[in-house]
Amino acid sequence: MLALKLAYRNLKGAGLRTWLNVVVLSLAYVLIIWHQGIFTGMLKHGSRAVIEDEIGGGQYWHKNYDPFDPLSYDESHGPIPAELAGLIEDKKATPILIRQAAIYPEGRVQTVLLKGIEPGQTILGIPSASLDKEEDVLPVLIGRRMARSTSLDIGDYLTIRWRDVQGTFDAVEGKIVEIMNTKVVVIDKGQLWVPLAELQKMTGMKDEATIIVVSQNVQGQEDVSDWKFKDQKFLLTDINQMVRSKRISAGILYVVLLFLAMLAIFDTQVLSIFKRRKEIGTLIALGMTRRQVISLFTLEGAMHGILAIGIGAIYGIPWIILYSKTGMKLPQATEDYGFALAERLFPSYSVGLVLGTVLIVMVTVTIVSYLPTRKISKMKPTEALKGKIS
Amino acid sequence: MNLVKIENLVKRYPMGKSQFTALKNINLQFEKGEYSGIIGPSGSGKTTLLNIIGSLDIPSEGSATVLGKKIENLTHREAARLRSQHMGFIFQTYNLLPVYTVFENVEFPLLIMKMSEKERKKKVLDALEWLGMTDKVDSRPAQLSGGESQRVAVARAIVKQPELVLADEPTANLDAENSYNILERMVKLNKELKTTFIFATHDEKVIGYLKRKIYLVDGQVAKDEIMH
Repeated sequence: MLALKLAYRNLKGAGLRTWLNVVVLSLAYVLIIWHQGIFTGMLKHGSRAVIEDEIGGGQYWHKNYDPFDPLSYDESHGPIPAELAGLIEDKKATPILIRQAAIYPEGRVQTVLLKGIEPGQTILGIPSASLDKEEDVLPVLIGRRMARSTSLDIGDYLTIRWRDVQGTFDAVEGKIVEIMNTKVVVIDKGQLWVPLAELQKMTGMKDEATIIVVSQNVQGQEDVSDWKFKDQKFLLTDINQMVRSKRISAGILYVVLLFLAMLAIFDTQVLSIFKRRKEIGTLIALGMTRRQVISLFTLEGAMHGILAIGIGAIYGIPWIILYSKTGMKLPQATEDYGFALAERLFPSYSVGLVLGTVLIVMVTVTIVSYLPTRKISKMKPTEALKGKIS
Repeated sequence: MNLVKIENLVKRYPMGKSQFTALKNINLQFEKGEYSGIIGPSGSGKTTLLNIIGSLDIPSEGSATVLGKKIENLTHREAARLRSQHMGFIFQTYNLLPVYTVFENVEFPLLIMKMSEKERKKKVLDALEWLGMTDKVDSRPAQLSGGESQRVAVARAIVKQPELVLADEPTANLDAENSYNILERMVKLNKELKTTFIFATHDEKVIGYLKRKIYLVDGQVAKDEIMH
């Protein structure tokens, strides 16, 4: 209590020096929390978009299906097993058939994935209902990015060439009926969405599928014969890893910020001990033990951290609240990041994030404050009283 | 019982590869209520002797017993306790804590003693009244003159009414009028509270007030005279 009272008096008395350190430290607090919130928001938003538009509550993959191996697509199809047909009938799952194909936008050949989906499905957020239109040509749904890269628009026709189950090439004319605005790149770029029944007919794969996406409400799925169940955790591994790697690179910023703040505190402490050696001698002469003097100086340093919480809260809380409401507009280039991001990113903050940051900064400040004070334990009070360091 | 008893005390300091002997075979005793001074030129060893009595330093040889405690055997904590409970220090350069007000400076020794706030306030104001500094309670040391600063330092030394006050060249930075004021007040304290004062000085103004004069030359007691 005594040390706390004295430390507060000393900090107050130090004036501008104290406030400069406190402001630098408060910046570290606020920026770390804000930045971490951005990544948490990014992960949350990305995961939600991927769950809604791509993976649902998990997916059954045909045993040969490997999304990272295009050569596997030819063999990765099979009849929908009876166990899963029930789920599909109950609208708790939706099958997707995936085949490779080629299109010729602007006279150039381009390899695409042809994906058959039931127009009436509600498991994924894809506007598949647009495929239900009565057309004399194959209705095709594409994403915004695909439309931009191929210069295709609603109402445009395109030639699609594919190979059927026997390996025979065939071609058909398709018509763009809808351009969807999805945040998930992997269901957009290089993808054509067509009615499942049409694709099954075109390829001679009646009642077959490549993957079966189950609803988010369906829990505890297990493998069914040739179909392996991949849960959300597995399917979100990429996005989690990507955000984690971005967090690590952002961590460099925290380290630099913290380093600057700690350098300020360390310098202040070293300078303080040098400038106040006479005062240290006086404190010892007046009856304080060396340990008490060390505690006092350490506490003084650590109290910068406490004051910084207050100062950081004054400008940080309104800023963070404002940011949480208005979000951050992302540049167009973020579309190529490889994972789902909205046009505006809304940071996400938690009590754990704030408390964790405060704890890390406080522990670091205390250690940095303590290190220079060890010199006090070696000081001779008779020398210190004369303003010398022994 | 002697308040301070010094027996065969030797103090050496390392100086390069050799050693410098600051105090040589000192034998002294101080009784309660004495108003005495260790007198000598610079480098005679008077501050060193005062520091040992004040448990800020330890003898190289011999023994210094203060209030029944052997200084050479005390731990840091015990020495700190001895100083905080029983001693007051007055320094040549005042050594006031710069960021504290006059009140807070005088209050400091009582905070270390963990005295209650009410008691602290009373004692601090009493001490400041003794020294005629009640109009400066909220001032900071930088706003005080030399004489005022030393009066605050005296108030800080006597606020807990210690058995022993050690004053190292207390008037060295003061003019004649301020020196006279300070010394008069210390004599009054000595008379009224029976506080023991030991000075280290070579200032003639202080020497004139002393009841006992111990002359130190080259680290040895040359003369020890009691004034009547």
